[in-house]
Amino acid sequence: MINLISYLLISLVLFFVGVTVMVARKNIVAILLGIELVLNAAALNFVAYSKFVTNNLDGHIFSLFIIVVAAAEAAVGLAIVIRFFQIKETVHIDEATSLRN
Amino acid sequence: MNQTLVSYLSQYTFFDSLLALFGNNQGVLTFVIYLVFVLIIVGMCATIGGLGTYAERKISADLQLRIGPNRVGPYGLLQFLADGVKMITKEDVMPNSADKFLFYLAPLLALIGVFATLAVLPFSSGLAMADLNVGIFYLIAISSLVGVAVFLGGYASNSKWSMLGGLRGASQIISYEIPVTISILAITLIAGGMSFGTIVGAQKGSPINWFIFHNPFTFIGFFVYFIGALAETNRAPFDLPEAESELVSGYHTEYTGMRFGFFALAEYIEVFVVCGVGAALFLGGGNLPLPIEIDIIPVQLAQFAIFMTKALLLYYVVIWVRWTFPRLRVDQLMSICWKYLTPIAIFNLVGCAIWVVVFNGHSVAQILGGH
Amino acid sequence: MFIHILFILSATLTLAGAFGVLATKNIMHSCIFLLASLIGIAGLYATMGADFVAVTQIMVYVGGIVILMLFAVMLTGGKDFVSKAQNLLGLAPSMGNKFTYSMGLFVGLVFVLTNAKLLWSVAFSMSSNEVTEAYPSTVNELGHLLIKDHVLAFELSSVLLLGALVGAAIIARPRKQ
Repeated sequence: MINLISYLLISLVLFFVGVTVMVARKNIVAILLGIELVLNAAALNFVAYSKFVTNNLDGHIFSLFIIVVAAAEAAVGLAIVIRFFQIKETVHIDEATSLRN
Repeated sequence: MNQTLVSYLSQYTFFDSLLALFGNNQGVLTFVIYLVFVLIIVGMCATIGGLGTYAERKISADLQLRIGPNRVGPYGLLQFLADGVKMITKEDVMPNSADKFLFYLAPLLALIGVFATLAVLPFSSGLAMADLNVGIFYLIAISSLVGVAVFLGGYASNSKWSMLGGLRGASQIISYEIPVTISILAITLIAGGMSFGTIVGAQKGSPINWFIFHNPFTFIGFFVYFIGALAETNRAPFDLPEAESELVSGYHTEYTGMRFGFFALAEYIEVFVVCGVGAALFLGGGNLPLPIEIDIIPVQLAQFAIFMTKALLLYYVVIWVRWTFPRLRVDQLMSICWKYLTPIAIFNLVGCAIWVVVFNGHSVAQILGGH
Repeated sequence: MFIHILFILSATLTLAGAFGVLATKNIMHSCIFLLASLIGIAGLYATMGADFVAVTQIMVYVGGIVILMLFAVMLTGGKDFVSKAQNLLGLAPSMGNKFTYSMGLFVGLVFVLTNAKLLWSVAFSMSSNEVTEAYPSTVNELGHLLIKDHVLAFELSSVLLLGALVGAAIIARPRKQ
């Protein structure tokens, strides 16, 4: 039987893998990949609850908005990464140390 | 409702006898029916892809006052098989510093993106493999995989020509998705649903019911869709990413033999899918011009024949356009998309929405006929 | 039965893709593994009957975000990126002592076992005779909800997207210097 626990476990693993990617990688674009995994885990959670616990579609609506916000945030984040590269000529996260210029 | 091929076939009596043959095991029977139909459809579309190469050579020959292939088989019809054999026997070369995993993956992704769209094409009102309720949306979404595949093909070859071709190809594909999707949105608005069954069913009856004649906005929308779809398949005047004279064949320069065959096959089948979608959305694909309401197998086959005729007519127009117009430069290509097609598509969408509200969804013919 | 098969395939694809993002050093490969993971998640949405969300996921993520990531990797020279402390095994010796390692191993074991048990139980509860009914479509309902109950979030998200579009274009434009 596929029940709620199946989907919750998958989203749990996805969340932890996403957090590990965010922590353990040194390339800024790789960190953004981890953020996408985390957001997807949350969206999966919402839709799972919407299907198995409540019987309205609010979970779907929220997942749609998570997808929209993730797209906007990825676009702006990548624009910042490109600007960072134009200044520092590298995308190593350890170079992002100064708060000015 | 989501309909599938199996639920359509289950209304016939021979289905029960088939079920008894499989020991009343409906799961296995469903799987076998789908398997058979997948093989039929994939085989048919691969043949259409192959015959497309033949048709292109013959039609271009006709336009250029020569004869084209006429040696292999009657009228040169088996030329595509000869080409296939030639491609299979070629040596499989991979550049030394290329990225192995992505080099192997790119042609496969292109094929996946194209073959997965064949599942929702409305070959007839009952014989579509899966009449999803989000059918047309699914088709647009899955064809974005081809864009990723073009980019990966360009990158993985590790050569400057290919990289440029891949970047241009991917940016062209994602830019032209916008006017195409907005034109399709306008049709969805008028038809009242995203499933192909709803859209094709709303064009029943005489050809005056086709969506291309529904209102002036959808008429313009058809041409926006057609031009955008030509650009999306990297075809016709928009084939800069694979131009022979500028980029030495662009993103598939380093691919040899059957891998290049995969890219070419994916392109030709994608052109067929795009023509099929255009026929279904705008030209009333599959509807018989007679008001026959009985739902038997010969009617389905007639609808299938009509759908294929319309799609192949559009295919002819695509090939014709390729050999008529000169190739566009990259900046002309981008400016056509963003400065002309996208505003026209948005204007179409708003116009269709206003039309639906003001005239209650009736077409021009219905209003003139007195509704 | 098909629901179970689809669930197992999508779950395997999702988890394998996620671990692939973590494991490879090459960032282009990480993007492709993320692509696989996102397609797997769309398959999971499809098993739950969330057809509109599944197709939106494919359209936005595959057609938009993954290509954006690939372009950003190309524009920032990421494919030649070399880092010393980038793989986990290189980081791990600096992270702790026997206690942390055993905790980490225990947690990892729990994960692997629960996921294996999950997939196993789904595989064994398949019976080839039952046929699920087709799921009702969610598109009409979602349309009503977006316009009636959640219209504020809908309009705000369009403003958000406009702001992101303009902001990204301004931040990343080439400077004249």
